[in-house]
Amino acid sequence: MHKGFKTTLYHIILWIVALIFFAPVFWIILSAFKTKDQILSIPPKWFFTPTLANFVDLFTRPNVGTYIRNSLLISAIAVLIALVVSFLAAYAFSRFKLKSTSLIMFFLLSIRMVPAAASVIPVFLMYVALGWKDTYPGMTLFYAMFSIPFSVWILKGFVDGVSERFDETGLVNGGSRLHVLFDVVLPQVRPGLVAAFIFNMVFVWNEYMFNYIIGGKTTTTVPVALVTWMLNQGGVDWTFMASLTVVFMIPPILAVYFFQKYLLIGMTFGTVRGEI
Amino acid sequence: MENVSALQRTAGKKPWHKKLMDGFDNSNLFPYCLIIPVLLFFIIWNLIPTLWMIGMSFYNYAFTTGAPEKFNGISNLIDIMNNDTVWGNLGRTFTWVLATTGIETVLGILLAFLFWNSAKLPGRRLALTLLFTPMLIAPASVGAFFKLLYEPDFGVINYLLSLFGIAKINFLGDLKWAFPAVTLVDVWMWTPFMILITLAALGSVPKAELEAAEIDRLPWTKRLVHIIWPYGKFVLMLGILLRTIDSFKTMDLIFMLTRGGPGNTTELVAIGLYRKAFEGFTMGWSSTLAVILLFIAIAFTSVYLYILNLSNAEKE
Repeated sequence: MHKGFKTTLYHIILWIVALIFFAPVFWIILSAFKTKDQILSIPPKWFFTPTLANFVDLFTRPNVGTYIRNSLLISAIAVLIALVVSFLAAYAFSRFKLKSTSLIMFFLLSIRMVPAAASVIPVFLMYVALGWKDTYPGMTLFYAMFSIPFSVWILKGFVDGVSERFDETGLVNGGSRLHVLFDVVLPQVRPGLVAAFIFNMVFVWNEYMFNYIIGGKTTTTVPVALVTWMLNQGGVDWTFMASLTVVFMIPPILAVYFFQKYLLIGMTFGTVRGEI
Repeated sequence: MENVSALQRTAGKKPWHKKLMDGFDNSNLFPYCLIIPVLLFFIIWNLIPTLWMIGMSFYNYAFTTGAPEKFNGISNLIDIMNNDTVWGNLGRTFTWVLATTGIETVLGILLAFLFWNSAKLPGRRLALTLLFTPMLIAPASVGAFFKLLYEPDFGVINYLLSLFGIAKINFLGDLKWAFPAVTLVDVWMWTPFMILITLAALGSVPKAELEAAEIDRLPWTKRLVHIIWPYGKFVLMLGILLRTIDSFKTMDLIFMLTRGGPGNTTELVAIGLYRKAFEGFTMGWSSTLAVILLFIAIAFTSVYLYILNLSNAEKE
């Protein structure tokens, strides 16, 4: 009985911690169902008649659908390209002990560390010169580049963990290198792929600066729309902000909910493959 | 000769893609073929722009004037070296990195230990998802809404404080409060990431060893030092590295919250650079600062990798 009580208390504490972190988000979600006056009222309104008017208003605005589609397409395609490229490289780095491995791995990490404002300057100059600014390929490939470093790091860890015997067996049995690569090794690094996908997807999904600088009218994603549309006729358009934020947070939250197991394993960088 | 032709005949019977694969498989070029895509990305989106930027850093080039760029040697560099704002921003950035990464790491580790044995928690998947939501929301949204939360007249935080009889504080407009207030938002946003990483690190400790320690009734401190740390440190260090990197780059969040103000109390080096490059359009000067940041980044990464390699070597 005593032990049961302790467990219950422990579980209650865990839920409280989770809810504390969630509280501000919950407040944003509530705001999405309020009128503008209710959002700004002090003391805050905890009880109110929820309204869907904000969401109706959101989707009647011009281009909101385009922005959401841009966000989905650009981030999904960019991260998928990055994963394929990174997986090939991670396999090469892991199996063939190339002399350049550590140097390339090092540079990949260094690029990630440069502040966005610094790394975007040369790319901006290049894109303007080549006419790639505000094009889908230009935007997508740039984000792919940005997702590669982390993906290579995480995937190399996982490929390292797959015994080379699998490769040998595959080759001896007459499989080609590519067969080994995609049918033997790939399925075993799935947690790494999922973790890399979610991690990079969230980054690209929420990224603002690059899209603002090297994107434009055709490739605007939701974060840029949020910032540029925030100020509407003199005041901040809170109902628009709240409803768009809520719609926009759904995909990453669903991804984390459904792929949580893989995400936790993936974040071990291949040091563990069992359940956490 | 006959053997060779026999081989050729059998080879000829293979479908074309098999033949292609054979050439691929037996060639020493295979590993290099695998890294060609990564190298292409690296060259087009990093090497060329970086060289361009380094070149640009020796010029006086402003977008707005339309004047052709003028070579002016290292005078940009000299100007930056004597620029107090840049040095102030750099110092503030290091304080920022240290404060945010430090608090997030400590808090993340403590909370992860709390969540470690939560396998039987009812609704664990939902609880962890809620716990992780802060890092899933666009910094642009987070910035906007925390600005509202901190607001002296309409803000919930000041309302809650007033319930305890505390006078209104203009958190984001006050020279003293702005930096801590922004730090708090970052801590809220990224502590979940450190929890996630620490949970992963704790997960990489073999269960058998932990059970053995349990049977031997090993004290907590010894378990921590002899079992958990050796297995978990690699993942944890990598997590801290990633957090340091992203903290160094923080931009969207602060931009939405304070735009670097009041005064320049929350102006980090990335924000100052953005201002110069895309509000002042002084591309030459900004390129020079960007090159300096690139070198700082490389130096940082080297130190971290050195530490990581050490801990890896010990493990093996």
